Amino acid sequence: MKNQIIITLGREHGSGGHYIADMIAQELGIKLYDKDSIEKEIVSEGYSEEMIRKMDEKPVNFFASRRIGKYSNSLEVNVAEKTFAMLRDKAANGESFLIIGRCGDQVLKGNPNMLSIFICGNQQAKVGRVMEKKGLSAEDAIEEIKEVDRSRKSYHNYYCETKWGDARGYDMTVKSDVLGFEGTAKMLIAYIRSFMEQD
Amino acid sequence: MFAQIIAICIFATMFLLIILDKFERHYITLGSGALVLVLVFGVCMRSMSAIWETLNLGAFFQSTFWYGASEESTAGINWSTILFIAGMMIMVEGLGKAGFFRWLCLTLAKLVHYRTVPLLICFMSLSAFLSMFIDSITVVLFLATVTLELAQTMKFDPVPMILSEIFCANLGGAATMCGDPPNIIIGTSLGYTFFDFIENTGAVVAICFVFMLIYFTLCFRKELERAEHANVGPVTCPEPSTAITNKKAFLASAGVFLLAVVLLITHAQTELSVACIGVIVAILTLIVLGLTSGKKSVIEIIKGVDYKTLLFFIGLFVSVAGLEKTGVLNMIANFITSVSEGNIAVIVIVILWLSAITSAFVDNIPFAATMIPVIRAIAATEGMDIGVLAWALSLGTDLGGNATPIGASANVVGTSASAKGGYPIGWGRYCKYCVPATIIVMAVSTAYLFLRYL
Repeated sequence: MKNQIIITLGREHGSGGHYIADMIAQELGIKLYDKDSIEKEIVSEGYSEEMIRKMDEKPVNFFASRRIGKYSNSLEVNVAEKTFAMLRDKAANGESFLIIGRCGDQVLKGNPNMLSIFICGNQQAKVGRVMEKKGLSAEDAIEEIKEVDRSRKSYHNYYCETKWGDARGYDMTVKSDVLGFEGTAKMLIAYIRSFMEQD
Repeated sequence: MFAQIIAICIFATMFLLIILDKFERHYITLGSGALVLVLVFGVCMRSMSAIWETLNLGAFFQSTFWYGASEESTAGINWSTILFIAGMMIMVEGLGKAGFFRWLCLTLAKLVHYRTVPLLICFMSLSAFLSMFIDSITVVLFLATVTLELAQTMKFDPVPMILSEIFCANLGGAATMCGDPPNIIIGTSLGYTFFDFIENTGAVVAICFVFMLIYFTLCFRKELERAEHANVGPVTCPEPSTAITNKKAFLASAGVFLLAVVLLITHAQTELSVACIGVIVAILTLIVLGLTSGKKSVIEIIKGVDYKTLLFFIGLFVSVAGLEKTGVLNMIANFITSVSEGNIAVIVIVILWLSAITSAFVDNIPFAATMIPVIRAIAATEGMDIGVLAWALSLGTDLGGNATPIGASANVVGTSASAKGGYPIGWGRYCKYCVPATIIVMAVSTAYLFLRYL
């Protein structure tokens, strides 16, 4: 039986990933780290909330940044590295948590208590959800999904050895519209519990 | 013609890949160099002599490579640059491990009684001075680290100080032959000595430095003084002696550093080449550290050498040779000459400002390496002294890189160290102070070149 559980959850925009993550975290009684909570965790004198919000989970602008060995001038890279350090600290301190995106699967790779999940969805279902949630037209919703997913993919692929959304890089990849959000969450909770029962 | 197109395509792809930062840059230049050797020289030109000349391995067996009045190198891999940089890397690793840089920074901070404005002036001066002899990345890294540490105890914003240190490191690097990689390449390629640089670029750098002391003090004085006055109660700063991990190793490394400075300053008189100085300094560092700190330290230092940068240089030199041997660089030289209609003043202005603007956005090392054959061709065509073009290229590449956070390696390392220490520096804040400063030093350099050489 494991004393610690760390779940990393990648998601396509509009797939209900955040909603499902919320249900899993509540059911398991573990902390959920998303944009808001990460912002609170890493905010400091130099890193304002506004800056973190702007740079968090954002791809690197190749024309405005340069890397010399382990040093980079990119604010996106520096915010990402701060987030990764926070995740490593929490994992090392034995905290159980669920992290949405932010290359959790790569940052905590090799941790025996970690499960990596990716939530994707049928395009039609995703468009419908974004239209409903944001009050957008179908055309704008498609555009937004494309833009957000492109940004997440670029962010992930810059720091990770695996490709964003590629099933080979995750312990489980699931389409949320097959069982619905609640059904997917229940299935994943059962899967996580089985994993936790292992030594 | 076909060889030229292939060489241009390989070089352009190399440059683009360096900018995109998808792969480590030494893989990019080595891959590009291999393609030049195989496709350009092997397939298109069918010239074994071009390959042999580019690899330039025969240089090691020439006495002038190690000792002699002139060490002007031909096209291809500039082994003098590689050996010198490798030697200095080993020396700097030794100095860093012995705590030399940290000790120097803390000693100066103590000397000025930890007062912020004198500290700013002191660190700017130290940054400029050290960068004249060792690479600016190391200088900025150590200064930024100590600045962040002092900022935490003395409660001031370290960003103004770090920005000034970065700027002065690039400025100091422009003053000598061994301060900045473009200068090492220019010096070894065109056969200039340490003193040639001091007399020409060093003179204008000294003027620029005075301007920058005034500029940055005016920019940041109020902010730093406000922070100092806000501090109540005693502030405990680390003692300089805490920086020294091994006193014998510290003294021995400092001794090697002093010897390196003397050898560099006198290399025109002793006729030792910079490659030879690099090897001497490396061997001495390893011997003294082996004796004072044991074999383990020697292995650690050898492991700590940034071999990736050395490989980057090797690949870069081969890629540039592809452009040179196919005549592409001659075409660029002819273009610059025709645009300027043979007017020497215009040529100098074009070289200076083109180098500065380009270096503000792309790595100045490939640019300088590419431009050396170009200025050589211009000087030959126009029958003019290559010196003024070399100084224009050196000043443009070294000083132009100050304008943006990506313009020079020291800027990237300094801003990154600051961000890691909790004080990120974005493009806005960096450019707000450094763009005007760059314009000032470029204007001074332009005036200097006109008044002295034209």
